Amino acid sequence: MDLISLKNIYKIYNVGGEEVRALDGIDLNIQENEYLAIMGPSGSGKSTLMNMIGCLDTPTSGLYEFEGEMVQVMDDSQLASIRNRKIGFVFQTFNLLPKATAQHNVEIPLIYANIRKDQRAEMASNALESVGLSDRSHHKPNELSGGQRQRVAIARALVNNPSIILADEPTGNLDSKSGHEIMNILDDLHDRGNTIILVTHEDGIAQHAHRVIRLLDGKITEDMKRGST
Amino acid sequence: MILLFLENFKISLSAVFANKTRSILTALGIIIGVLSVTLMGTLISGLDRSFESSMSWLGKDILYVSRYEWFSDMDWWEVRNRPQMLPEYVDKIRERSQYAMAVAPVMQRGASLSYKDKETRTEIFGTNEDYMETISTNIASGRFFTKNEDRSGSRVTVIGDGIKEAFFGDQDPIGQYIKIDNMKFRVIGVLEKQGKFLGFFSVDKQAILPFGAYKRIFSRRGWMRLSVKVPPDKLEEGLDDVTSVMRHIRGLRPNEKNDFAINQTKAFEKQYTSLKLAIGGTGIFITLLSLIVGGIGIMNIMFVSVKERTREIGVRKAIGATSGMIMGQFLMEAVTICLIAGLIGILLAYVFSFFINKIFPSTLPLGLSMVAMLVSMIVGIISGFIPSYRAAKLDPIDSLRYE
Repeated sequence: MDLISLKNIYKIYNVGGEEVRALDGIDLNIQENEYLAIMGPSGSGKSTLMNMIGCLDTPTSGLYEFEGEMVQVMDDSQLASIRNRKIGFVFQTFNLLPKATAQHNVEIPLIYANIRKDQRAEMASNALESVGLSDRSHHKPNELSGGQRQRVAIARALVNNPSIILADEPTGNLDSKSGHEIMNILDDLHDRGNTIILVTHEDGIAQHAHRVIRLLDGKITEDMKRGST
Repeated sequence: MILLFLENFKISLSAVFANKTRSILTALGIIIGVLSVTLMGTLISGLDRSFESSMSWLGKDILYVSRYEWFSDMDWWEVRNRPQMLPEYVDKIRERSQYAMAVAPVMQRGASLSYKDKETRTEIFGTNEDYMETISTNIASGRFFTKNEDRSGSRVTVIGDGIKEAFFGDQDPIGQYIKIDNMKFRVIGVLEKQGKFLGFFSVDKQAILPFGAYKRIFSRRGWMRLSVKVPPDKLEEGLDDVTSVMRHIRGLRPNEKNDFAINQTKAFEKQYTSLKLAIGGTGIFITLLSLIVGGIGIMNIMFVSVKERTREIGVRKAIGATSGMIMGQFLMEAVTICLIAGLIGILLAYVFSFFINKIFPSTLPLGLSMVAMLVSMIVGIISGFIPSYRAAKLDPIDSLRYE
């Protein structure tokens, strides 16, 4: 069974009376432990596709199955539950809560999953440890460097043992050294069996992935698999 | 659920404390509202208590017969043309009324009292031996004067506790002589301490003289009233009876109006109830007004808070918060501000009532504090509802892009 199965997905917006096809008939299957990069120029629909995969958005038409479950018929709280348990988001701008410590930021998904406090603390510590930030757990985001912030964000994404990690331009706001570190962490997570989906417009970043799809005007124009190196 | 509740409470507290000035300013309306409702309640409960004790001092079963109604909208000249009360009415009422159990004439004036080098100005009363039955106070030591002492014009006096304190302190005043407007009077009794009437003037500084001596020395004429005691279970009949006796004494024909007044504590009660309603009504109005203003302030600041944290809402939704959880978070924030405001209001009210209590007997009822907290909470829920709903319905994708 595919982890993710998109069949004939359309997302159509109506902007000022004009129909905009953000996704124009997408067919895409993603297996467990894949390392996928979605590429394309801005406006090509890659963000919409990522939001769709991340259950933040629902398609205008088409079928979306996540682990065999029909996503397009789910209600708000079911979608929230899938995002909480199955998907870990990593954003370009980190999107950490500025007033909370690294530890607390990582714990938030666990709070929504209704996990007990002591267990929560342990899971969050483990996640921070796996991104090498154990010694920074009580720092607030503004006391951390960009690379460290993104590592906290990755820890938050993987703390609930999700099925996939969705990273939207994860190195876009970082210098090349920090970016490199972040990609190493993602590579490492993939090696440990996680499924990773990257959205990027940089070829160098896409190099890390084992499969690259290119989008243009809401359509997949290329789907290229590399042998794992 | 409890976990989330606690978490939301923590978020609310940190949001409130992160913007201290803003929160305090926002909370001001609620603080004033809660303060006014609790103070008003304090005032009314204080009034109630002092009214009740004052009323028991007056006595529910006493009819006060005089020229004047206590509370009346009659023209002053009409009242003024009424004939005086006369001392001989006492015996006439005793003879003719079947309900009058005790009849005491009371004349009153200011006088200067002195003992050795101490001097004070106070009210003196001239009355007869029935007087003690028409007041609820008892003799603390000594005795009241007798009918014979009254008839013979004996210069004896019963003094209030305040006079005793002022003149004699711990000494026994019985048998001592005090001067009332330079006439020597022998103290034969002391009244119990009574406290202040309606919290304003003390009735403990008084001296009571036999009517005979009072009339002879101070005045034959002057304002006088009669206190008539009737059986407590026959108030209506007593009133009718004394009224008809008085009409008979005055020789009124059936079509003529009463040219005297018979007052009862009921008149006070009626007056008091309308005063209480006026205070309570004003209080509720002010409270409602400031709660509405406060609620609008809370709503306004919650809209700002939601706007400011649009991105946070997006992130929270992306990592698994449902709309309900977001709604709960912001509702909790509004309620937290209101509860803190309510708490501040009640604390202030306690402080205020402590000082008010120094001049006027009052306490803040505990039940009222709880009602005030409940009202604060409800204001929080109502004013936080629309902003929270808006937060809950935000689209996660748009919120994440919000700058």
